[in-house]
Amino acid sequence: MDSPEEQYIDSRPSRDQVSLRPSLSATSSMFVTNATSEPTTSITLDQTLFRASTPPLEAISDRNDNDNSNDDDDNDDNDNDDDALLESLSQSINSYENSVSRFSHRVVSTDIPTVFIDEAPGGNDELSSWNKNFFILTSAGKPIYSMHGRDQQVTSLAGIINTIMSYFQLRNSEDIRTISSGNAKFSFLNRSPIILVAYSRKGETSNELINQLDFLHSYLISSLSQRQLSRFFNKRENFDLRNFLEATDFENLDEICSLICERLYPDVLLGALQCLTLKKTYRTQIHNAMLQCLLKESDLPRGTILYGLIVAPNNKLCSVLRPRGHTLHTTDLHLLFCLIYHQFQNLQNQQEMWVPICFPKFNSNGFLYCYIKFMTNAPQQVSGPKPVLVLISAQKDAFFPLKSLGTNLIRSLQSSELIDKLYRAKSIKITDVPAPLVHHFIYKSRKHVQYVMPELQFATQPDTESTSEQTLGYEKKIMTYYQQIHKSLVRDDGGSFSRSTLSFVQWTATDSLSTVTDQSLFQEENISMMGLAWITPSFELYLICNNGTNDKNVVLKSAKKIVSWCRKHEERLFVNEGAIF
Amino acid sequence: MFQFKLVLLGDSSVGKSSIVYRFVKNSFDEFRESTIGAAFLSQTIKVKESDDGEETVIKFEIWDTAGQERYKSLAPMYYRNANAALVVYDVTQQDSLVKAQSWVNELKNKVGDDDLVICLVGNKVDLCDEDAEDNKRAVGTEEARSYANEQNLLFYEVSAKTGLNVQQIFQSIGEKLFETKSEEIAAAKNRQIGSSNDHVNVQLQRASTNDPTSCCF
Repeated sequence: MDSPEEQYIDSRPSRDQVSLRPSLSATSSMFVTNATSEPTTSITLDQTLFRASTPPLEAISDRNDNDNSNDDDDNDDNDNDDDALLESLSQSINSYENSVSRFSHRVVSTDIPTVFIDEAPGGNDELSSWNKNFFILTSAGKPIYSMHGRDQQVTSLAGIINTIMSYFQLRNSEDIRTISSGNAKFSFLNRSPIILVAYSRKGETSNELINQLDFLHSYLISSLSQRQLSRFFNKRENFDLRNFLEATDFENLDEICSLICERLYPDVLLGALQCLTLKKTYRTQIHNAMLQCLLKESDLPRGTILYGLIVAPNNKLCSVLRPRGHTLHTTDLHLLFCLIYHQFQNLQNQQEMWVPICFPKFNSNGFLYCYIKFMTNAPQQVSGPKPVLVLISAQKDAFFPLKSLGTNLIRSLQSSELIDKLYRAKSIKITDVPAPLVHHFIYKSRKHVQYVMPELQFATQPDTESTSEQTLGYEKKIMTYYQQIHKSLVRDDGGSFSRSTLSFVQWTATDSLSTVTDQSLFQEENISMMGLAWITPSFELYLICNNGTNDKNVVLKSAKKIVSWCRKHEERLFVNEGAIF
Repeated sequence: MFQFKLVLLGDSSVGKSSIVYRFVKNSFDEFRESTIGAAFLSQTIKVKESDDGEETVIKFEIWDTAGQERYKSLAPMYYRNANAALVVYDVTQQDSLVKAQSWVNELKNKVGDDDLVICLVGNKVDLCDEDAEDNKRAVGTEEARSYANEQNLLFYEVSAKTGLNVQQIFQSIGEKLFETKSEEIAAAKNRQIGSSNDHVNVQLQRASTNDPTSCCF
């Protein structure tokens, strides 16, 4: 597995990190912070900035131990030795009560408790009632977009934001990055002529917020291009961009904001793409078909096609056709995927689109043209999300050559039943991976800049009525856990403490059973959540354990199993080189 | 079978895509998203040959363009090789007729082809009830019709929502194009009889955009 010299110890003492944060204010102190007593702690409670949601919680401690016991584990680490693992598992459960005597539960549950309060606006429409908001305005202070809030509110806020930014530019001749106050944080991104501001009480790092702002800015560029944007504002500094943006732009911004804030969408956080899990042979066949079809189009002038992509539903990359030595930037692909699955999902099967898109990280001044067509195994197939073929050219009149290439490719994939394979491709399940006590994980392969995670599963079969709401709540909860786990590894500015780090994060609560209603036959579960983050130069792993798990050795063992499982199935989980021409 | 290229032009949200969907799928979606870029679709119709009553199939290749101002610079590429153009306005929006007229002017100036069939189409007549108090009509039928006659355009008022007259637009465009083509073919045949060569290739289709030797522009 990993070389023994890899260190999983933070490079900084804990006090330094604590001082980066605002101190825990007395009013919001529902927690007992016992983390300070542990020398290897890398984050403390005030960094989570959350209040516990369940009223009886008296104390939540958030401990984060860097694992020094790595060497011990290496000795008895045997990925295939389930007996040893089971034994150690049972030991951990048996020894549970001894180790933490205040806890009364003995079970490990697959239900993940909510420990992060979601401060939904309670009846008032004050801007401050939202725990997350994005504002986009022009450098002259004209509002362009806000995630929440009425025009009136945003306009006055825009003035204040503008003043603050100008003040720092004049005084320090550099831009302000972040204002922190208690658990609230404002982050600023100046991309003149556009200013973007994020507000959050969700405990993200400044760096994370600024990445989110950069993504929103990238969307604007993808729609308008930097050149056009500059042209507007060169002509008139107080240009009102809102008049030029279309309804679709605001819809897309809404969609992106909700993806970032409400869904399990770690793409921006990790800067990686999700990939469709597909047998290696099928993927190779698809790539071969792509190359063959390209060869057949012998009259296609060189340079007509820049890239070809097959994208599966839920923004999953499936296959890539690309010139040697060129790849598309992850952000550009995120934007393209968002657009495809938000704007084009209702397209007719036989419809073909020709869409100019500016890929900001490829060339922020020019447009590329995308031929977009949904792939079906039968022409009349209707409902449900469909995989889509995207062929990208720099020439605006290349539609017909790309259409011919696309038609041939789809026909070839249909006849070899590969489109069928795409429809039947299944996401991995947590049960596919031999990782005991792990509820969910995200594994990112740095080499591929892609990540994989098991599909979400529900402990109880949700009824159709509330399915979407339940799924959304669950996604949001899981995503918040991952944000917190990820944060344990990075400084506020996004830098990591060391090249390789392993860190445990724990959320526990005491005495939560005291106020459970008498009539209830069901005991409310105690909260004892553990998460793990592990980064090395080759991969990043984030995992959430089942509630009640508390043996770090078992968790680390599971983590190692996940890593070796993902490495073993690398070619199934990730798109490697793609089809190169 | 004849194949003709047809382009839809007009201000944003006048219902271009809805007209196409009514024609191609015979369906209507109240909450259609704005078109981004342009969509390419095809649909066939049948026209009767006048002399022997036989039916001929006509295939329309349709460019449904986005009405948004930002895509305006791309429009020439869609109408450049078109045989027919549907210029759509919204009968409840006076501005959209002005926009339609500017499209007509652009087509007449830039395409420079007398055979281009232009059809002025007023959409959303389902919102107009001449007797009702909340009649939303803002463009009178006669106003539009006299403009169309003046410019020698086909003219229809339609509703993509109810389907009223939608099929008729394409039918009459098809017939008109077919008529022109039949004359061309007849002329070609006459020439063929006169010449010693038995085989003359008749170019039924206009050069497509992918042809680098296209001489239209």
